[in-house]
Amino acid sequence: MADAGGPKVVGPTSAPDDVLRVEHIAKRFGPVTALKDVNLHLKKGEVLGLLGDNGAGKSTLIKIICGFQRPDAGKMFLQGEPYEPRNVDDARRRGIETVYQDLALIDELSVYHNLFLRKERVHRPVPLLANRQMKREARVALDEIGINIPRIDVAVARLSGGQRQAIAVARSVSSDADILLLDEPLAAMGAKEGAQILDLVARLKDEGRVSIIMILHNYVHVLQACDRVSMIQDGAIALDKPTSETSVEELTDIVVNEYRRAREAAHAEQARQQQQQQPS
Amino acid sequence: MASATQDPASTSPGGSGGPAQPRRALWRQVGSRIIALREGSIILITIIVAVYFSANTSTFFTGGNFETIMPYFAPLAILAAGEVFVMILGEIDLSIAAMYLFAPIIYYKLNTSLGLPLGLALIGALLLSMVVGAVNGIFVAVIGINSFVATLGTLFTFEGLSLIISKGTPVATPGGQIPVGTFGKVFGAGTYSELIWAIGIVALLQVVLTFTRWGLHTVAVGSNKLGAAEAGVRVNLVVIRNYMLCALTAGLVGVFEAIRSQTVQPNPAGPNEILFLAVAAAVIGGTLLTGGSGTVVGALIGALFLGILKDGLILQGVQANYLLFYTGLAVIIAMAANVYVGRVRRGHTGSG
Repeated sequence: MADAGGPKVVGPTSAPDDVLRVEHIAKRFGPVTALKDVNLHLKKGEVLGLLGDNGAGKSTLIKIICGFQRPDAGKMFLQGEPYEPRNVDDARRRGIETVYQDLALIDELSVYHNLFLRKERVHRPVPLLANRQMKREARVALDEIGINIPRIDVAVARLSGGQRQAIAVARSVSSDADILLLDEPLAAMGAKEGAQILDLVARLKDEGRVSIIMILHNYVHVLQACDRVSMIQDGAIALDKPTSETSVEELTDIVVNEYRRAREAAHAEQARQQQQQQPS
Repeated sequence: MASATQDPASTSPGGSGGPAQPRRALWRQVGSRIIALREGSIILITIIVAVYFSANTSTFFTGGNFETIMPYFAPLAILAAGEVFVMILGEIDLSIAAMYLFAPIIYYKLNTSLGLPLGLALIGALLLSMVVGAVNGIFVAVIGINSFVATLGTLFTFEGLSLIISKGTPVATPGGQIPVGTFGKVFGAGTYSELIWAIGIVALLQVVLTFTRWGLHTVAVGSNKLGAAEAGVRVNLVVIRNYMLCALTAGLVGVFEAIRSQTVQPNPAGPNEILFLAVAAAVIGGTLLTGGSGTVVGALIGALFLGILKDGLILQGVQANYLLFYTGLAVIIAMAANVYVGRVRRGHTGSG
């Protein structure tokens, strides 16, 4: 029913220097269709902003790319090779790092243990945790990124929302990933902390080593930080444009139209049901 | 006495006492150091109880009495040490009572029916215990059965199987008969055998918990299962291997006790009581039933506390009928103190 007069759907797209290509990805959770037919590509060194309404399927798409969930249909290609991650570790080995919306931090563990979770440094030959080395490396990594965490040996439960977010971002950035997936990296952050993260993204972009897909809500941030923007609507990509060719107005219009269309569809559905009920 | 996550030495707030009252500041510092330890409250309570019994009975503080307490608390400490790992996951393993019963029967059968040497029979019994532990882990992690229900099922099943295999008849434990050989002395019959095993196992498992990936991932899964999974921790594997560890310690203690008491007793009553005492020891020692944090050393001290309490009450001439009642009260008081001190500690250090 969403198809009639619905948003246009972007088909498979590609560029010669793609690091990641996603084609016809679909995912259902029981009766709920999260993704219908998603096509996406990411060029080397590019920052792609992913937009979309709540429940449009942004997080699901991120979780499929990072290997946390498997798609029901569709194909993915990493550096031109078929890419079917078996799990998060597998995806990470192939150079994809993720910051989840729920941050995936362990409250009970210290800052540096969180930073090194699943990538722990251990001594040889007895594999005990090399805590001192991890503390040192964590400090260097945080300083390099420009995130100010006063104490790295305290449990992350004691940190503020913004600091927690910063650690989750730092965890993925400090690895040697080719692709970073950031699911709302600015949520729970104050203006100053948010600016730090956007600065960091800008620096990474200048280095040109990593490619980034970033879910954002603030259109100004998108236009400021991203090279290109893709918008998901109803489980498919409805817009795919360089940020230089779009504006806050256009992005807002799309969303407003979507709301209007959804409301009209809901009204039509209501009217149809009422008509059906009347004869009886 | 390290605990799973924090660094008590660096979080002591007592150092701000000021130079005006050096002695008081020192005491406060010592006090908050102890409180900053996860095991702090139970250490204090155990010392208080021990001092009380030493003052009120002439026989408590003697070597002979220590040998009386030992066989009670050493097996408990080993059982609790394994249980701590499952409890840190936020789960529980009730089937340790069944492994405690099952392992010595398998050990007996492997030795007498298959003619395996004692060492191989022991290894076989322990491996089988670990298989049952793996089954528990699969029920909980993969199939998603609540751990209380799943391990209650395996508890009944394997206690039942123990009765079926043994036909309900006690038998003489191989290796436990007089004159006891080296094997028997090492695995339970020697005076200090179980104590040495208990201290060794507790030390080893505390190191595993605090200083290895195994421990780190166990805490991670217990604290935030989804987050751990998203970070790439293989949650199912972590759950399964901790259930295997727990079953291993339970099977080991079962064989120790059978060798020490010279008989394999196919009677679930004793093991079921020990199961609850082991969980009590872990909880009293500072391990949360809600998961995410715990301490193996604390479980050892919790077991010591229970041992001292029972022994001290007996020495004081408390009537046998009152024993369980007083034990219950003491457990409640110890737990209340634990929660209170824990709250103070969190107020100080902020880490749970």
